[in-house]
Amino acid sequence: MQGEINDIRKVFDSDLRAAKLSGDFDTLYLKYFSKTQGIISLLLKKIPELTIEDRKIFGPEINELQNDLKRVIESARAEYEETVTSDPSIDLTVIEPPYNTGMMHPITQTILEMNKFFRYYGFSIAEGPEIESDEYNFRKLNLPEGHPATDLQDTLFVREPNILLRTHTSSIEARVLTEYEPPLRVVVPGKVYRNETANASNLGFFHQYQGFVVDKNITIQHLKGTLEAFHKFLFGDDIVLRFRYKYYPEVSPGMGVDMQCRFCAGMGCVVCRQKGWIEVLGSGMIHYNTLKMCGIDPEEYTGFAFGMGLDRLAMSKFEINDIRKLYSGEMIYV
Amino acid sequence: MKIPVEWLKEYVNIKKSSAEIGKAFTSIGLMLDKPIYEYKGQGYSTEVLDLEHRMDRSDWLSVLGCARDLAAFENVPLKYPDTYIGELRESDESQKVPIIVECPDLVNRFNTVIFKNIRVGESPEWLKYRLEAYGIASINNIVDITNYVMVETGQPMHAQDLAKFQKREILIRRARKDEKITTLLGEVIELNDEYFVLTQDGKPIVLGGIVGGISTAVDNKTTEIVLDAGNYNQINIRKSSRRCKIQNETVLRYDKYLNPKLTELALMRAIKLILENAGGEVYKNMDWYPSPTADKNMVLRYDRVSRLSGMQIEPEKVKRILKSLEYKILEENNTEIKLQVPHFRTDVAVEDDLVADVLRINDYANIPVSFIKNSPPKEITPEIYNFEEELREICVRAGMHEHISDPLVQPNPEDKTQVILENAISAEKSGLRTEGYSGLENVSDTYVKHKIKDIKLFEIGKIYSKIGTQTKLENFTETRILEVYNKNIDLSLKENSGNTVRLLSTVMRDLGIVNYRIDYLDGKSVILVDEDTLGEIRHTDFNLLTEMLLKHRGQPHRIISEYRVVKTEDISVIVPKAYKSGPLVHRLKSVDNNIIDIHCLIEELESLIGPESKNLLLKFSYLGGSFSQTKEKIIEILGTEGLTVRR
Repeated sequence: MQGEINDIRKVFDSDLRAAKLSGDFDTLYLKYFSKTQGIISLLLKKIPELTIEDRKIFGPEINELQNDLKRVIESARAEYEETVTSDPSIDLTVIEPPYNTGMMHPITQTILEMNKFFRYYGFSIAEGPEIESDEYNFRKLNLPEGHPATDLQDTLFVREPNILLRTHTSSIEARVLTEYEPPLRVVVPGKVYRNETANASNLGFFHQYQGFVVDKNITIQHLKGTLEAFHKFLFGDDIVLRFRYKYYPEVSPGMGVDMQCRFCAGMGCVVCRQKGWIEVLGSGMIHYNTLKMCGIDPEEYTGFAFGMGLDRLAMSKFEINDIRKLYSGEMIYV
Repeated sequence: MKIPVEWLKEYVNIKKSSAEIGKAFTSIGLMLDKPIYEYKGQGYSTEVLDLEHRMDRSDWLSVLGCARDLAAFENVPLKYPDTYIGELRESDESQKVPIIVECPDLVNRFNTVIFKNIRVGESPEWLKYRLEAYGIASINNIVDITNYVMVETGQPMHAQDLAKFQKREILIRRARKDEKITTLLGEVIELNDEYFVLTQDGKPIVLGGIVGGISTAVDNKTTEIVLDAGNYNQINIRKSSRRCKIQNETVLRYDKYLNPKLTELALMRAIKLILENAGGEVYKNMDWYPSPTADKNMVLRYDRVSRLSGMQIEPEKVKRILKSLEYKILEENNTEIKLQVPHFRTDVAVEDDLVADVLRINDYANIPVSFIKNSPPKEITPEIYNFEEELREICVRAGMHEHISDPLVQPNPEDKTQVILENAISAEKSGLRTEGYSGLENVSDTYVKHKIKDIKLFEIGKIYSKIGTQTKLENFTETRILEVYNKNIDLSLKENSGNTVRLLSTVMRDLGIVNYRIDYLDGKSVILVDEDTLGEIRHTDFNLLTEMLLKHRGQPHRIISEYRVVKTEDISVIVPKAYKSGPLVHRLKSVDNNIIDIHCLIEELESLIGPESKNLLLKFSYLGGSFSQTKEKIIEILGTEGLTVRR
């Protein structure tokens, strides 16, 4: 046993010299003290096998060995670190370029932020097809064929008149209302398509964020409350909202929501086109006919819905002046 | 809808400023869309409000209609314009202009009168200026009056010079394929049977509901006219006007739902103005109106108002509002009122529309704010949505930037599975994308331009395809994919390929998918788990089906909370130069559960093993214990593959 202890000390001295050069004190420590394989750990396990006399002699000696080695390793490590960190050639005052890390698209960032609010208030998230039937895109949303309001949305047809690219995320509202029983609280972020000539503010496709609630005793007051809380979450408590009547075919009564321009405090400026207000979204109580066509009894349940474009919001947040840049590859991350 | 304020105040007597009136209109649904501006004529000036018109309210395409709602909102009376109240003269049968309608599906009403001995000339200044302030140029007193009454009441009208008729008759029919009409503006339109026309002696004189022809236009020599106010099939006019690309003030109104009754007010108003300003006499003529529209009656329950608004609005107030909007109360009790809907309110379809009228005239600003008190319902977010959110984070963590590219692309005529759009504005954007690579490759050019060398990009989105024809919705498929683009422009293709494989490994590790493999099948490197194809990898990109990733995702074991000994062992194998090592590595991984990773380094050691071969240095990481037995098994497998272990 004594011989073994002496050998360990010798080998340790040589290992320590190597570690002092490499700075790898962790491997050295594990070699001696790893629970299962460490040399000292294995030696400690042998103690119970010794005779009582030997135990009296070698027990304290092995303990001393253990303490010595640990102490030596720690002091060598401290000494090493001291040497390394005091190397005068190291200059921490120089700012180096950052590591390259990934970024999410401004639209995704906006969606995630909005989802955060709505998930907290018990909303689920829904998705659905972009190639859609006229039934879900128009009919169930109270837009019969030839209705003047179809002009609000120039449709891209895959097969006219009944297969199209969805013109709004409301088509998913119609799908969810048809598929699920109330109560429902749902938001729908997604791509929508319009037959529009591309320019700085319009593109053939863009993103919308739709939300709806169907439950018992839901009133327009709850719509106001939800939208007010949501806008405070997004823009801060000092915002001023204006609620006014506005027609949208899929709701009645409809409601337009404007936010007082934060650049001019409502006085009128270039940003708000001298209006003092910026239109932020359209909303209203889900149309009686929509609920009925989706198989929900409008006498038992009422609901509200709201929808907004995400692109302009993301553009103003990230200071992007042209919607095409969001998707055409002209916008990159550095 | 432009509203000259001076004109508006003829019907609503309020002292408010234009800005205040604009604010009131905004509250009730006619948002002030542009800054108020001033129109100035000689000795005449007015401020003009430009209000956003929503598509449902045809009555809001009239100054009177807007005035009505403003008066209701301000709780002041509405003053109707003066109309002709005298009798119309009877004319001899020979002097009448019979109306013959051969397309009753397209014409609801054609209401006409005849004027004789009128003087066509300049309009009085007030009329000229009001029209110009609205945005219509003055032509002559007759044409101006028809335009004025249209803007005032919302009913388009048309006057024609009877002296220019070959035969005293108007026949309305579908147009014929080879017919043409020259409009008042001199434009020649080729017709077909989807249009309808007013004809004179067999020739089209008016393109029905859209634009008048030049052949019977009123001019300074005109003394006798037939004046009409028609009501037509709204859908036909919408389609026809878009087909011939004519959008004018007439079409703007006729492609909304107008009630045929509106023609009566418009004619009586026009008669009054013509007699006052052009003299002459007015004679009865035919009012073609075979199926008069019935009045619409509806019931409003007071509890429906409170049900939607959460407010108790007093019945007296509800009635005051509805009456001011010209609803007629037919019956009432404590709980509900039966109403006759005014004929011009063609938008009102359900009881909730009546609630909307009550709430908006009561002002939305008066609706309190409250929060939903019901407990949150069951969560229905699809698993794939949450998964893709997580996948996006994994990609970002791996140093990739997210891009969203346009799903609308230039079609590839060779690809019969591509979804093609029927009516895209540009051919370049008339197909839906079938792969995700091109979008990211396009973005990479911008990075290069900005001198960014290491380009790692991703997109999570859909690709689209069809089976067979585009006639059924079920023939279309939308597939969710993750597309990754990786390229460092300073590195060789081989080095980039290695990094692409590594980026894939990073994504797979973070998804906890450890048992995937890459097989070389039909010239493609396909990513698989068991029998499922997850995607494909190429030198600078890979794609993965996100539904498949979700199916195979596992728990990533990246956190070790205690010491454990990971040993490494190297084995070198000589393989032919074109050898694809993925399947072999995958097979070797399954030899022993203790193998936690095999890193495969490919070395070309021409001088040692010749130009036809390459060396695979397989670096095994394994947990504890002895490797000798495992190694024997590995060597055995390599033997069955016909590979030589290099000593």
